[in-house]
Amino acid sequence: MSDQIDPITRSVIQHRMSAIVEEMGEAMLRTAYSQILNSSRDFSMGIVDRQCRLIAQADHIPVHVGALPAAVRALEARFGDDVHEGDVFVLNDPYHGGSHLPDVTVFVPVFAGGERRLWTVVRAHVGDIGGATHGGYNPDAREIYHEGLRLPPLKLAEKGVMREDVIEMIALNVRLPREFRGDLDAIIGAGRLGRRSLDRLYGEFSADLVDRAIEEILDGAEARTRAIIEGWPDGVYEGTAYLDDDGRGRQDVAIRAAVTVDGGRIAVDLTRSDPQSESFVNSPHANTQAAVSMALAYLIDADIPKNDGVFRLIDITTKKGTIVDPEEGAPVTLSTTHPSNEIVEAMVRALQTACPQRCMGGWSRRFRISFTGQNPRNGRPFIWHMFHARPGGGASPAGDGWSGAGEWHTVGGIKFGSVEVSEARFPLFFDRHEFRPGSGGDGTYRGGLGGELDLRIEVPAYAHTAGEGARHGSAGIAGGRDGKPHDYRMVTDEGETRLATKQFGISVPEGAHFRVRSAGGGGWGDPANRRAEDRKRDEDREII
Amino acid sequence: MTESKKLSIGIDVGGTFTDFVAIDGAGRTVIAKSPSTPEDQSVGVLAGLEKLAERMESDLASLLARTERIVHGTTVATNALLERKGALTGMLTTAGHRDIVEMREGLKPDRYNLLMPPPEPLVPRDLRRPVPERIQQDGSVVTPLDEDALRQEIAVLKERGVTSVAICFLHSYRNAAHERRAAELVAEVMPEAYVSVSSTVLPQIKEYERFSTTMVNAYIGPVVRRYMDRLTGRLNGAGYDGPLYIILSHGGITEVADAIALAAGTCLSGPAGGIAGARACAGLLEARNVIPFDMGGTSTEISLITDGEVALTSERGLAGERIALRSYDILSIGAGGGSIAMNRPGTGFTVGPQSAGAVPGPACYGRGGTQATVTDANLVLGYLDATAFAGKGTLDLQAAEAAVGALGAELGLGLPETAAGIHRLINVKMADGIRLMTLRRGVDPRNYALLSFGGAAGLHAVEVAREMGVARVVVPTIASVLSAWGMLASDLRYEMSRSRPMDGQEFADETLRDVFDTLEAQARARMPGVDPASLTVERSAEMRYGEQIFEVDVPLDHIDFGAPGLVDAVTSAFHRRHEELYTFAAPDQEVDLVNARVALVGQVSRGAAAEALAAGASLPAPVGRRRVFTGGRPEEVPLYAMETLAPEHRIQGPALVEAETTTVILHRGDEATVTPQGWLDISVAAKPG
Repeated sequence: MSDQIDPITRSVIQHRMSAIVEEMGEAMLRTAYSQILNSSRDFSMGIVDRQCRLIAQADHIPVHVGALPAAVRALEARFGDDVHEGDVFVLNDPYHGGSHLPDVTVFVPVFAGGERRLWTVVRAHVGDIGGATHGGYNPDAREIYHEGLRLPPLKLAEKGVMREDVIEMIALNVRLPREFRGDLDAIIGAGRLGRRSLDRLYGEFSADLVDRAIEEILDGAEARTRAIIEGWPDGVYEGTAYLDDDGRGRQDVAIRAAVTVDGGRIAVDLTRSDPQSESFVNSPHANTQAAVSMALAYLIDADIPKNDGVFRLIDITTKKGTIVDPEEGAPVTLSTTHPSNEIVEAMVRALQTACPQRCMGGWSRRFRISFTGQNPRNGRPFIWHMFHARPGGGASPAGDGWSGAGEWHTVGGIKFGSVEVSEARFPLFFDRHEFRPGSGGDGTYRGGLGGELDLRIEVPAYAHTAGEGARHGSAGIAGGRDGKPHDYRMVTDEGETRLATKQFGISVPEGAHFRVRSAGGGGWGDPANRRAEDRKRDEDREII
Repeated sequence: MTESKKLSIGIDVGGTFTDFVAIDGAGRTVIAKSPSTPEDQSVGVLAGLEKLAERMESDLASLLARTERIVHGTTVATNALLERKGALTGMLTTAGHRDIVEMREGLKPDRYNLLMPPPEPLVPRDLRRPVPERIQQDGSVVTPLDEDALRQEIAVLKERGVTSVAICFLHSYRNAAHERRAAELVAEVMPEAYVSVSSTVLPQIKEYERFSTTMVNAYIGPVVRRYMDRLTGRLNGAGYDGPLYIILSHGGITEVADAIALAAGTCLSGPAGGIAGARACAGLLEARNVIPFDMGGTSTEISLITDGEVALTSERGLAGERIALRSYDILSIGAGGGSIAMNRPGTGFTVGPQSAGAVPGPACYGRGGTQATVTDANLVLGYLDATAFAGKGTLDLQAAEAAVGALGAELGLGLPETAAGIHRLINVKMADGIRLMTLRRGVDPRNYALLSFGGAAGLHAVEVAREMGVARVVVPTIASVLSAWGMLASDLRYEMSRSRPMDGQEFADETLRDVFDTLEAQARARMPGVDPASLTVERSAEMRYGEQIFEVDVPLDHIDFGAPGLVDAVTSAFHRRHEELYTFAAPDQEVDLVNARVALVGQVSRGAAAEALAAGASLPAPVGRRRVFTGGRPEEVPLYAMETLAPEHRIQGPALVEAETTTVILHRGDEATVTPQGWLDISVAAKPG
């Protein structure tokens, strides 16, 4: 066996692998049932090897990507050699390889020449996972058991035969079993589609050749990332970002990042972050690692493949018992968005002096609101998650931010549903759904605008919130100003109330209105340098 | 005049040349080419018609007097959108919802690229004027149309110099009264303006798709109208008074007035001609399943013909703008003969997406290009003739060797190995495109033939086919005027669709029959001049499981709409289609039918168009030999000239066949047979090993 593989074969194999994860994602998008999956595309696909290294991923949910290797590690630790062709595995527990309980991860092993080689991994956010509240976002949770059903690594299929007993057990513990099964079919379908395509790859190239190609692909991504980091002055850079509160009376929970740039590597020290919380704002270690990876992915060239070669350049230090590394058993559901987004923001704030031309104004934080009630359109109970009034994206040295393109964790990847379809399916009426003037942070380049939504619920219902960013706006960077924070209100005959970001079971009387004003993105650069014609255009368009 | 003397003329405007094909009733064919005139394409059209007349030893007036129909493909709409040279457009839209077209459903392309400014909207916010009015999902009026406010907003648009107006109100697919009234008022105040109404352009639920399509229509409508007026003016002036048909993105043809009203439907008029040509070729060869593969210098277009019909989609756009009208399902890959190969640190060896374009072009064009392209690699491999290259004169072999050699030095590979690598990787990319077009749509490419056209296709088609397990490749020799020729085989097509959100409960045989019957009646009313006996009806529906967001397009042509059990038949067709596409179906789940669609097809083309453009042929022998690399080794292979080949000749690989616009390489085990039309029908050897 020679050490080198010819560059042509290597390129062919790399090309194939990214085509495979793309194809898996496409199939998933088109077959999923729940609103969260098919509309918000809250899922990710990856190919991971037996050493738990991420080989290829499609550009789906950035915070999932860095987390997939930890998931495979948990699976390998549990099952070892008890893995056979035709098996399918699942897990969701944050303390056993998962991120938070609604993110269900499915694994399909890929064999070649009788030997196990790779995993196709699909992580998808399902509509409900049981527990005390629907959807898993339970601001009242004090321990993980309140957040839903915990699945350690387990087999969903054995040698090609689905374990109906296991699936029935899970379906029995979730609120929308029909939808859950539809989503699970789609998730497994995507994983198997990936295996089928990898089988073809192994039919064409020897396993040895594929192995060597993988090493070169990872080394290549590492080299490119290293070259970028080497351009940043060595030193220690500090940045802090805050959660508004933990919903239990603690305000301004700090994420403190000290980033050491040393040659081509970076070390991220999060040990000085605040202590863990009693509520669901804790980030389990795997999730923290994923958030740090996400930040680095945003700061390097967009076309570098996001694989193990990139992420192995980061060292992360955390302290047990902090918000970014809680003791097992602490509730964590909010973590994939918060404090993930604050971890990214703390990193970008830290590095804005090291590489201002690669840093962007803050993207927004996620303020969820959902409604439950009885749907007169079809006589069934409904759950509706609001993805409208998307908040603004951050400005950058390249120009103004994208209006309504979203949060740090979605960066333009969430599609809000058609207003017409939403009104036809749910007892909702959208009085107004437009950009929110004045919400983008000022700067040489202005942050993207948030949204305005005036929504009427036609039936009595319950509203639930889970999110962040009603107190802290998206960060202004390199001299830019922060964007405006979120401001959600409920208007009833009794008057107007501003909604807290972590509140379950708000009673919504018939005919109530919601007045949602979402956050704008952070600005970039000194506002004094903004061109007069840009300000004039913004005025003409009534967006400032 | 006898029937056999009457002419049909196809005209295709391309980037460089405008192509003309005239066919008479006996199938006699004459072709002509004339330089395109981008500033006013109609000038080139008339010049070319004169040339055509000359070639027929006639004059323009007599030619047009004999002509009974002209079919035309134009890139006017495409260019206006790509170059952002459409009309100054305003929009009247439901108050409180004026940012729908700029929100783009919250999506931003290229997710990890956060250093990317947002695109400038076609209609900026200050020209999207809010109108107080609101219809709700069941079609009832919540807020009546405020006509005073509407008049004020129209006045604003007029004052700003807007020449085209898009009218986009929520739920207008269900109740179009407000949009219609608004259109009346606009016509009153701005009688010259082009008006595009969403409930007419695309009467379907989902506001972004409807509004965006309507906006694009308004943006390019005046440009298309101006062009069509000039063209018909010139043709009439020259004495032509027959029908002028325009080929639309969905491959059907329509009268000029309809093409102006639905200008957004002409955005892919150009490529549609090529696909129509491919379809006509497939018809001649009696090949039911064909993958048209059109590889040019900077891009490659792939589509799919199944059972003689081209796949359609409504999920396309152009220049980043969403156009939800149905069009031929064409996959465009930004790679071709001009794609640049390089060794990028960390990424390694890549081919594309950068292209040398027309200027400087590949290194071998000798116009200053220094980077190795696919064409340079093909020249180094000996596949191309440096002394005579497809009408472009000579190629600079030394420059190609220098470019490819420099890349090889970086990669640690020799010259032929590097060239072979470039050739291989571009083939893999092309195969990926075919995989997207077939496997991802639940189609097995091995049941298809690859139809190769476009200048760069011949050198790659056979290898691409082998990569995909496709056993047959056809190279028609009429590639240079394929589009113009194909248009003459196209039929009139009028599409009607209607959103009919239905869930399981109200999904009754009668309701369903009614929906389709109404659409059919409306479509028939749009084709008054066509013999009803020549009309055929195509029905399809966009359906999904209750909880899904994306619909699957389900063809319903095989279903008897008069028979009982209609709902069952339609839902089982959906389950089958879902399983084909996505490996599973859920027969116990509730099914929604979101959009019903009827296409009325009126046959106007004649068999004549299908007559061969046969190459005159006499000599079977090779015209020379050339040294090429096959399978990594240099080898002398025979060289054939396409025009010297005659039907039933057989050529064994390895060999090269040179045609006017392309060169075909056959490897060991491949065998080409010359068809009665003088085309190559290649049997591809299976992949070695």
